[in-house]
Amino acid sequence: MNQRKEEGLLLSVENLGERLFRLKIHSPSVSKKALPGNFCHLRVNESYSPLLRRAFSIHQVEKEKNNFELLFKVVGPGTQILSEKKPGEKIDLLGPLGNSFSLPAKDENAVLLAGGMGIAPLFYLINSLLTKKFNPEKITLFFGVKGKDECLLINEIVSTGIRLHLATEDGSSGYKGMITELFFQELQSRRIKAKRTKFFACGPNPMLKKVSEISRKFKLDCQICLENHMPCGIGACMGCVVKTSEGYKRVCKDGPVFDAREVILD
Amino acid sequence: MIPNLSVKIGKVKFSNPVLVASGTFGYGEEYGAFFDLNKLGGIITKSITLNPREGHLPPRTCETPSGMLNAIGLANVGVKRFIREKLPFLRNLKTKVIVNVAGSSIDEYVEVVRRLEGKKGIDLLEINISCPNVKQGGITFGSDPKCAYDCIKAVRDNTTYPIIAKLSPNVADIVEIALAVEEAGADAVSLINTLVGMAIDLEKRKPRLSNITGGLSGPAIKPVALAMVWKTAQKVKVPVIGLGGIMNTQDALEFILAGASMIQVGTGNFVDPECSIKIVEGLKEYCQEKRLKRIGDLVGKLKV
Repeated sequence: MNQRKEEGLLLSVENLGERLFRLKIHSPSVSKKALPGNFCHLRVNESYSPLLRRAFSIHQVEKEKNNFELLFKVVGPGTQILSEKKPGEKIDLLGPLGNSFSLPAKDENAVLLAGGMGIAPLFYLINSLLTKKFNPEKITLFFGVKGKDECLLINEIVSTGIRLHLATEDGSSGYKGMITELFFQELQSRRIKAKRTKFFACGPNPMLKKVSEISRKFKLDCQICLENHMPCGIGACMGCVVKTSEGYKRVCKDGPVFDAREVILD
Repeated sequence: MIPNLSVKIGKVKFSNPVLVASGTFGYGEEYGAFFDLNKLGGIITKSITLNPREGHLPPRTCETPSGMLNAIGLANVGVKRFIREKLPFLRNLKTKVIVNVAGSSIDEYVEVVRRLEGKKGIDLLEINISCPNVKQGGITFGSDPKCAYDCIKAVRDNTTYPIIAKLSPNVADIVEIALAVEEAGADAVSLINTLVGMAIDLEKRKPRLSNITGGLSGPAIKPVALAMVWKTAQKVKVPVIGLGGIMNTQDALEFILAGASMIQVGTGNFVDPECSIKIVEGLKEYCQEKRLKRIGDLVGKLKV
């Protein structure tokens, strides 16, 4: 028995934008074991509405303080309830669950692609690389959002000193269009090179599908972090599977991190 | 006083009446990370078919008010890999192991149970004649008394393990089916499997499940399950195993009062991985509190 249901203590609820929230939770067991890419499975209340747990990527970890953070957008009743929680409340959670990103070597580059809330696990990856004294100039983030209002955490990202490419769908800031278009251009013009680089992506499925296609075309060593509804979250129910070149795989247990060339998204 | 929670089905003695339902517990390994599986009365495996099955296209599950729909499509490793890769883990447990068997023809059920015959580590079989999500088989055997009889009879004639017939609620009269499988030699009946249900994404004007319909489980179906357990327990002589939305000790006790000798926790495992063992503890405490020597004394004791 190496896993337990945990009772985290909610330390803070931060409203970062209209529907965007960041929770800081105290949990020694989660923060000690967490790795970038892992997720937690939360029960938002004790009622049957909603009934099932919700999976959230781990967004930030303070190892020395035994805290970790989750970043989410209110999209339904579950996230609504979570956003209304007060510091001091107990959080029923399972985690850390799932696999994690395999990190680049010191002499490699890291190129990350985040679409909207896909920034959540990638932000943790960036910080974890920086903690390991990875040169920030060897980290490039392609960050795509709908509009300027959604440029969440942009100041925090800029302050890390990594290279940043921003794309907004409405053109209110940075490149106008989809982040995958910008990424494709940079690859084609060879300003971003496939060699000695590890690629990481997280975002909505249509974006990841594109990333997956680009990865095959340019033979990128790219890991994508998937999201799905997960009834059990621990690999038992076969409910959250994704199609891969080796058949269906469980996002919760075999993932959420997969090789972009292996996953077949539709 | 330590209350006696043990139950017998056929010749098999369970330490307590709490089982985990097929399809919600994989082959046991995953939940073994959370608690001592030996504290359970028994584990029921994911349905095993003759050949491996990939299962349905995603999306396979969706949440509904107080419940969930699933259309996994009997994804499983097949009987050969089950014996080779999954049974060794289960064999080393002290808890009872019940292998759930599904098929798309009587011949397939028979072939699977033949291959399971005599394998160390198996205590009972649960015959799934009630899967609502596969076109052929599953529920077709469970929705007609004659077909249910034929299927269970064929299995009975080809295995020495005690057998539990898992029944569908998607029928005109579940009691009729229960009586048919009892006649065919089932040692127990378990009910209910999921109810056929559907959910729609209004925005996309599409069903939420790729299979269009799925099986509804969770607290939403508990009243239906209780009624069916109650009706069935009035008529059959073999033990009734109750399931459908059991989330806590109180739910389990209600099923026991309605006539269930044992209960299964399904969707409850997802909500709380420790749900099943909390119920084991809860039943013990209830017996102590009510000065009951045996949990069995409570079975069917509903005052009507």
